[in-house]
Amino acid sequence: MFLASGFAVTYFASALRQAIWGIATLGDAPSRLVEVDGKSVNIPGDHSINLMIQSLIVLFLLALYIILCIQAARDAYSTGKRRNAGLSPSTFRQTLTYLHDFKFAQLLLVLPAAGILFLTILPIVFMILLAFTNYSSPHHIPPGNLVDWTGFETFVQLFRLSSWSGTFLGVLGWTVLWAVVATATTFASGLAVALVLSQKEVRLKGIWRTLIIIPYAIPQMISLLAMKMMFNGKFGPINQYLSHFGLGELPWLTDPFWAKLTVIIVNMWVGMPLSFLLVSSVLSTIPPDLYEAAKVEGAGRWQQARIITLPFIMFAIAPIIIIQLAGNFNNFNVIYLLTNGGPSNPEYQFAGHTDLLITWLYKLTLNNNIYNIASAIGIILFIIIAAFSIWNYRQTRSFKDEEMTQ
Amino acid sequence: MKKKTSIGSLSKVSLVVAALSLTMVTACSNNANEPAGNHASGASKFDLTFDKLETDLVPEPGASLLVWESKEARPFVEAIMKEFTDVYGVEVRMQELGTMDQIGKFELDGPAGLAADVITTSQDHLGKAASAGLILPNDEFEAATRSEHEEVAVTAASYNNKLYGYPIKVMTYAMFYNKDLISKPPATMEEVIEFSQTFNDPDSNKYGFMFDVPFFYFSYPFIGSTGGYIFGKDGTDPADIGLNNEGAIKGMELFASLRDKVLPISAGDIASDIKTTLFSEGSVAMNVTGSWFIDTFRQAGINFGVAPIPAVGGQDSVTLSQVNSWYVSAYSKYPNAAKLFARFASNKSAQLLNYELTGAVPTHKEAAQNAVIQADEITSAFYKQFSSSHSAPSIPEIGSVWVPMDAAMVEIWDGKDVKEVLDRAVKQIRDAISLNAKSPKPDSTKASF
Repeated sequence: MFLASGFAVTYFASALRQAIWGIATLGDAPSRLVEVDGKSVNIPGDHSINLMIQSLIVLFLLALYIILCIQAARDAYSTGKRRNAGLSPSTFRQTLTYLHDFKFAQLLLVLPAAGILFLTILPIVFMILLAFTNYSSPHHIPPGNLVDWTGFETFVQLFRLSSWSGTFLGVLGWTVLWAVVATATTFASGLAVALVLSQKEVRLKGIWRTLIIIPYAIPQMISLLAMKMMFNGKFGPINQYLSHFGLGELPWLTDPFWAKLTVIIVNMWVGMPLSFLLVSSVLSTIPPDLYEAAKVEGAGRWQQARIITLPFIMFAIAPIIIIQLAGNFNNFNVIYLLTNGGPSNPEYQFAGHTDLLITWLYKLTLNNNIYNIASAIGIILFIIIAAFSIWNYRQTRSFKDEEMTQ
Repeated sequence: MKKKTSIGSLSKVSLVVAALSLTMVTACSNNANEPAGNHASGASKFDLTFDKLETDLVPEPGASLLVWESKEARPFVEAIMKEFTDVYGVEVRMQELGTMDQIGKFELDGPAGLAADVITTSQDHLGKAASAGLILPNDEFEAATRSEHEEVAVTAASYNNKLYGYPIKVMTYAMFYNKDLISKPPATMEEVIEFSQTFNDPDSNKYGFMFDVPFFYFSYPFIGSTGGYIFGKDGTDPADIGLNNEGAIKGMELFASLRDKVLPISAGDIASDIKTTLFSEGSVAMNVTGSWFIDTFRQAGINFGVAPIPAVGGQDSVTLSQVNSWYVSAYSKYPNAAKLFARFASNKSAQLLNYELTGAVPTHKEAAQNAVIQADEITSAFYKQFSSSHSAPSIPEIGSVWVPMDAAMVEIWDGKDVKEVLDRAVKQIRDAISLNAKSPKPDSTKASF
């Protein structure tokens, strides 16, 4: 115990100074090329981004250590109290037994908690911090350059520069509309198909179910690329059949309005099977005697659906719909593979008419290396989704009364 | 009846296209036309010699190298690796990585010590790599590289007047034409318009002339030929953007008129793979694309030739060109061995071998003047187009150009006012550059040189 704490103190004595310097300054000498006898040699310097991550790790370890120290002090205090009261302090073996018998769950959770702390929370903190730096191409890319803290300047740029704020609001508006409509259409279609297939009169249910699940079984990327071909305005089969039957060709992917409609239709095709599966599984759990009782009372089919089926489904599915809504906010695949944000919108900065915040963010980071703005957008996106999800989850009945599940 | 057949053939097109994209997705691995195992110098039609280089640089003891190159280059890289190991006794391994993706990966993996010792990329990524301090200059072989290679290639491998790269090959696009459909390649866009008006038949998907309209890179001849340019001072001055000058507007007006006269399809529907399919099955007479499609069209059995893109507005057409070069990592554990390899794999014999195995167009003057290459109709056509091209700028600001200009191409093609669209695109580029350049610390940029 003494050994461990001695080790920790010496470790933090040296590492903490380095960590605080690192995170405060983000380094002061970038790596550079120096000529030695006419030949360039790379002299490694401070890598701002690596420094930031290393400092964060040390600070997280320190936080854990402080928590440990406080716990140890409290334990020592209670042990002293026991001793004053004339009781003997528990032995090491007794402590272990206590841990095993009464704190087993906490003991098991230590490992996953450490994992979450260092593999989830730390990267999130890191990414949030990026928004307050000038980490962007071309002048602030390490290791040849340093990255500096710039405070809220990134956010100021995002909202003050009219071209950026216009893009942000435009893309945000479409993202919200998309998330709501995409979620509603997939759920409604899944619900409708599941209700129809649950009717007693439907034969060959197995075959119908298989057919409906097929789009879900094909890798999304492949079906989306195939869809992109099908909706091509000139060479795609859809327009060819339309013109074959004397109907005009439609600008599926090249007109802003139609492109938005196309992504929603395709998303419905891709997402419907999952909603169908979820609703079907809930339907099979509804006790049949409820319906019989309803029939005895003289309820019609519509009334049965409204009073029994829908509440059951909504109770079980509402949290999943919220998850899907949040997922659709960040539905990268459908947009990126189908339209890649197009058709282009000249009013926007690096975004097109169907770009969601997430695909815009992708373009900013991977095509243009504007990490700081991308990080700022990411933070705003996170706040929106988190706030909305929490508020909405609190509204659902499965959160308010848990009796129905018991 | 006619309609019906067109539907049949069209669904065939889409089927082929779908199949094409599927093969792309599943990443077919075997595209190498020749097994690269045998001793290349023995079987070659060139007189190739691979000896120790004239330098006192020696590889570090125990050195071994990792090289990044694209899939298409594998036959050449494997052959040259073998020669290098024979001469210097240094083991070399190759990892497949597209030249466009290397710098992005290198930015993170290089400083972490996980990346290759020698990487390949074109100059539009060079500025980013050099200013971030990721690569070493070509100092040991600077004089030799400067004197032996084409000047365009040397410029392309340099950033801020400092030579970094070891040029491998030049890349640009030209016009493939189907000899069975058009006997003589047209010399001007007016001839293209004339030919298309008799040849085009949209109902059966026959078009005279196709190019990748929505990509600025491929539409550049309609800006560069008539006096437009990306950045002034040979692509080094980001303050001087020539994408909305008089010449660019003139060229773009011709470009916009092609929509009605040559290619009546909206820009978003002109997909590269559909274009490739249509040319491969003989529905399109002229197809603007890069040399990397030669193999595809040969396999499709098309009787094709290659010619420079027809003159735009009475001026010789000017394309954008790139030069692929080797670059030595600043984080290599064996910089001497890496420099030796980069030099070894870019000298005259190596470039001839590369031409023979992958059809690469050399940057080495003597290699380019070799009688066999001069007699090769296709390669010399690409070379001719290359000699009338603008080198893609290497300054990092080029990264802010592609997206707004791609969007502008689509807008103009689909009928918006040329000047208005170009002015707005240039404003966006300026905004992006000024945003990126905000408060650059002068000392930190200076320190890297």
